[in-house]
Amino acid sequence: MASKGRKFEDELKDLETLVSQIDAGELTLEESIGAFERGVALVKSLNQKLDEVERKVEMLTRDAEGRLESVVLQGESEGGSNASAADADDEDVSF
Amino acid sequence: MDRQGQLDLALRGSRAAPTLKVSDLVRRIRDTLDANLDEFWVVGEVSNARLAPSNHFYFTLKDDRASINAVMFRSAFVRVRFKIRDGMEIIARGRVSLFDSRGALQLYVEEIEPRGVGALQIAFEQLKRKLAAEGLFDAARKKPLPYLPRTIGIVTARGGAGLRDMLRILFDRFPNLRVILAPTRVQGDGACNEVARAIYDLNREGRAEVIIVGRGGGSLEDLWCFNEEVVARAIYHSRIPIVSAVGHEVDFTIADFVADLRAPTPTAAATMVVPSKRELRERIAADDASLQMAMRRAIDELRETADDLASRLRHPKKLLAAARERLEDARRELHAAVAARLADARRSLRENAAGLRAPTSILREQRLRLSRLALQLAHGMERRAKEHRAVLGAAAARLDSLSPLKVLDRGYAVVLDAASGRAVSDAAAVEVGADLDIRLARGRLQARTTAREL
Repeated sequence: MASKGRKFEDELKDLETLVSQIDAGELTLEESIGAFERGVALVKSLNQKLDEVERKVEMLTRDAEGRLESVVLQGESEGGSNASAADADDEDVSF
Repeated sequence: MDRQGQLDLALRGSRAAPTLKVSDLVRRIRDTLDANLDEFWVVGEVSNARLAPSNHFYFTLKDDRASINAVMFRSAFVRVRFKIRDGMEIIARGRVSLFDSRGALQLYVEEIEPRGVGALQIAFEQLKRKLAAEGLFDAARKKPLPYLPRTIGIVTARGGAGLRDMLRILFDRFPNLRVILAPTRVQGDGACNEVARAIYDLNREGRAEVIIVGRGGGSLEDLWCFNEEVVARAIYHSRIPIVSAVGHEVDFTIADFVADLRAPTPTAAATMVVPSKRELRERIAADDASLQMAMRRAIDELRETADDLASRLRHPKKLLAAARERLEDARRELHAAVAARLADARRSLRENAAGLRAPTSILREQRLRLSRLALQLAHGMERRAKEHRAVLGAAAARLDSLSPLKVLDRGYAVVLDAASGRAVSDAAAVEVGADLDIRLARGRLQARTTAREL
């Protein structure tokens, strides 16, 4: 249930469904315990998913042959507030 | 009089002009204007249009050689039925007067009408109609945004204010995100093609889960790129959902109509695209707490049910106890009743004890009668016995006289066949040589037949 392939929002929805199912008291004790265990696993998976990706700003560029390349921009990943002078000019440079 | 005074006097004298205070001068200019310039209609292009917090509308009206500041007071502006934008050709009715405190000429506009529609506006409307007819704006084909995109594509100018705002908000809401910037110019010749190509590139690269296309605020001409067909088609063909974020609060661009979601500004786009990680954490924690609580409650409820059932299971035992108690009561009652009846019986027995003596006297009487009868019976019996004895004595005497033994006494004998024991009364019945038994009055004789006579 809490597998890596599943979407965050689906897992979140599942978790909230499980909570309301247990809450509604429509499950047997065994089902409740099963639902609870799945819920605990979902909480763990959801929290992991929130931390899955590393903070990074990349820039997509094309080389002469039109091949795409992505370069990590060091400054901007800190919040993008310290753009260099060259960056600032970019808007006005015509190709 | 000092030298300056003399100079002033000299100047005044030479020009024959009066000396005025500034306010007098301004007032006289205004009076002259008011007296000589009646209301008129004036044609020109709007620029620097802005609505003041007071809701008075300020703009500059210009043509290719001159310009004049204009104001439309709130009372007049609320009657305007179309949107006044920079670059728009308008025809305005009003008058010119002087703004006293700054001594500035101003056009006071009472009424305003669009003068034809600008070329850009016509192009915009035509393209909008065409793309709408092709279905590029259909709500049905709009893609849902991912709930938690971890990689955000951005198409905008590198170093632009829009990018800075977006990165700030994105990382503020979700500190660990991957952002892929496809840098483009966002105004000027060729910018449209760059924006379109950047959208295609991000689709080709494929990691972005959502793309923000936009730029910060600018004039209508500055934002024109986002009204171009090539951008509209690029947005339409993107597999990745696209949020348009062209920095202008009021008007829509073509890009806004095609995009899967329209944000009024880049900042708003960043907010819409990425959920707050803190809020998600809090939500998960709240769900977790609800889960624990729900489970506890479920167990409590089941326990309560179990307790309830258990108490109902004890019930029969209680019933049994009650029954036993009833039984015991009944037994006690029974004992009491029996005892009471016994007492009653005893009491009535005692009460009837006198009555019980009568039977004994009856018994005594009967016994007396019985003994009397027994006596009579005995006397009767004795009498009868005497009578019988007398008859018996006579019979016995007669019987005695008839007894063979009496005959024997007189010398007769009885001959018996020794073999058969029978009395022999015929000689033919006895063979010669047969043994005979001869009974006398006293004793017997054994004899053998030696001869017979028939």
